[in-house]
Amino acid sequence: MHYFDNAATTKICQPALDTWVKTNEKYYYNTASIHDGGKEASRLLETARRQLSSMLGVPTYECVFTSGATEGNNLVIKSMLTKKEVSGSTVLVSQFEHPSVIDTLKTFTNYNIKYIRATEQGHIDLDHLKELMSDDVVFVTVMAVNNIIGTIQPIAGIASIVSQYPKVYFHVDATQAIGKVNINYEGVDALSISSHKFYGPKGIGAVLFKQKNILRPLLHGGGHEGGLRSGTVNLPSVAAMVRALRETLESMDNVQQRLEGYKLKINDAFSQHPSIQFQPSDVPHVINMSFIGVKGEVIVNILSEKNVAVSTTSACHSNHAKPNETLLAIGTEQIAIDGSVRISMGMHNTETDVDALIDAINYALREVSEVLQ
Amino acid sequence: MKYNHILVRYGEITLKTRNRNMFINVLKRNIKNALAGTQAEIKTDYSSALIDLNDESYETVLERIRYISGILSVSPVLKIERDIEVIKETASNMASSFSDGKSFKIEVKRQDKTFEYDTGEIQQMVGSHVQMSNEHLHVNVKAPDHTIMIQVKVDRVYVYCEHEYLQGGLPYGTGGKALLLLSGGIDSPVAGLEVAKKGVEIEAIHFHSPPYTSKEATDKVKRLVDIMSERIGAKIKLHIYPFTDIQTTIYKKVPDNYSMTSTRRLMLSIAERLAIRTGSLAIVNGENLGQVASQTLSSMHVINEVTNYPILRPLLSHEKMEIVELANKYGTFETSILPFEDCCTIFKPKNPKINPRLDKTLHFEDKIDFEPLIEEGFKNIIVYESHEKEEESFEDIL
Repeated sequence: MHYFDNAATTKICQPALDTWVKTNEKYYYNTASIHDGGKEASRLLETARRQLSSMLGVPTYECVFTSGATEGNNLVIKSMLTKKEVSGSTVLVSQFEHPSVIDTLKTFTNYNIKYIRATEQGHIDLDHLKELMSDDVVFVTVMAVNNIIGTIQPIAGIASIVSQYPKVYFHVDATQAIGKVNINYEGVDALSISSHKFYGPKGIGAVLFKQKNILRPLLHGGGHEGGLRSGTVNLPSVAAMVRALRETLESMDNVQQRLEGYKLKINDAFSQHPSIQFQPSDVPHVINMSFIGVKGEVIVNILSEKNVAVSTTSACHSNHAKPNETLLAIGTEQIAIDGSVRISMGMHNTETDVDALIDAINYALREVSEVLQ
Repeated sequence: MKYNHILVRYGEITLKTRNRNMFINVLKRNIKNALAGTQAEIKTDYSSALIDLNDESYETVLERIRYISGILSVSPVLKIERDIEVIKETASNMASSFSDGKSFKIEVKRQDKTFEYDTGEIQQMVGSHVQMSNEHLHVNVKAPDHTIMIQVKVDRVYVYCEHEYLQGGLPYGTGGKALLLLSGGIDSPVAGLEVAKKGVEIEAIHFHSPPYTSKEATDKVKRLVDIMSERIGAKIKLHIYPFTDIQTTIYKKVPDNYSMTSTRRLMLSIAERLAIRTGSLAIVNGENLGQVASQTLSSMHVINEVTNYPILRPLLSHEKMEIVELANKYGTFETSILPFEDCCTIFKPKNPKINPRLDKTLHFEDKIDFEPLIEEGFKNIIVYESHEKEEESFEDIL
């Protein structure tokens, strides 16, 4: 399989898989137990926690492990919007957040949710953000890297605007950024991450947050994770996530450089094609391209026949019928939205994969040549 | 401006004459240890030492040597050629960072009298050059805001304008050895570091009573030893003495209100024996007059009766707040306040005697034969050396 759907999920890297197995064998104890095994497991957990926050450049932040970014986003949003002492009712959010952010926010009907405009280049419009900021704003949430087209959002710029309103809590869904782009998260109050996007195991993630005692648990029970997330800690996955992050960060510059070359090659192969349109992208590993006149799904199916895996918009809602919010937000024409396909690369991709992809796309173009516009 | 050297001035070492080199050599070794892992290098001579930063930052290196005893003060310096033009330029550049309207003077020390200009000439030439190229400053020789120092040596010149006082004292290891009673609280690590400042080498003893005290409590004491060792710039040995049998015996046989007094007497007596065995010339503790029941003058009188050894109590008359400040300065406070039971708190009597009587104490202890218990404890002492790697760092996992 030539796998080009790394923004949906990645294949676990070997060192992380080794760590997962080793931790299951050696540190299978409950981190809350007070016998030696439990203490040892708990030390491993705390070491992992320290290393995680320090590798992400926020060594002073607290960290709670979750089942992934969906839980992380839910945890932060629900904590902040159910607080009794909230003194405002406006929430600002970008138009292209993941459903685990947007749909969670929408459950709070007592808040006024305002959308920050996007530029045609796929970035948050900072001027519009400034206009929207007011004393009534209590919560701002923006993703670090967009999952559909791969644009990097100006997190530091947003942080500096938000910092002028002390009561605003600024959350960043960093799912697509970790291990791909170096971002300074210092002005951010909380960020959610998910392990399986950076070659770690599925079902594990974390929220890193600046201030103690501000988040409230979604899950109550045995009081793990300082009472913030009950349920026996998934230590093998935590350890494997941290190992995967180390691996990813160490190879990041090389990998991104290699992928930049692949991206250019794919661009060169199709940029002149009259029926193909490329959406803007700031990162080497995500390419969003539209086949004008044909549904993206058709292209995905044809490529799949050739053993090449790509995705329509985002895998999470590939089977949604409604048009993609990100593409709408940046003003993409309906026909281009319908024909859009996302190619997302990762550390395991090779030149051979890229050649197979180009061949498969050429084959698809021939197959659908009659309907292309 | 990026400094390339640090000038290190000796403290009380300069009062020494015939044995000065011994002190300097020990100081050199301690600084070298503190600089381990950096590019910086130390060279010493009779009157001062010089650290070559080799691209390390002044701030990083300063933090490493800040608590090394025997250093009176330091200055970040620029080491330059013996060329009057270079001296003039360097001084001007340095002055350009002084803020508007400030005053300065040039001070020259010419250790090499063969240099082509004399002190007055250098002062004048450099002073007027600095003034001309820095119109925002003015000269004030009596009470300047900044003094630019120029030291002309045989083969080099130092230029500097900052002066930072450190803690002084004598180099660690030049003043004999003492045994520190280390409980894990706020006071005892500070007491150890205060004595170490005068050059006295520290070894420590800690009493633990498993299973009544936890591994965490012992780990905490080990961390304190690690921190102290970083401050001192030398390794510290910690003797962990198993105290359970003695403590439970006291608990069973000595009346509750005298149990604390006896416990302390036993600890001191064990400490004396260890001091003798380790070649320590004194015992150090963190006692503070009147702080708790065991530290009243009457208690000290009765407890001290078990030994003729000198007991150093550097914190005897400090205010608690002063001790906390010192603990913060030395970086031991945060670790000291971690909440783990130590052997003093678990068998704590409800009403310990504030004014115990020696005759009664002796009477209660008379019936008990502690000797075999004490010797048994010595057989099972665990020795830890600062920064010993004993826990897994999980390198194979993470």
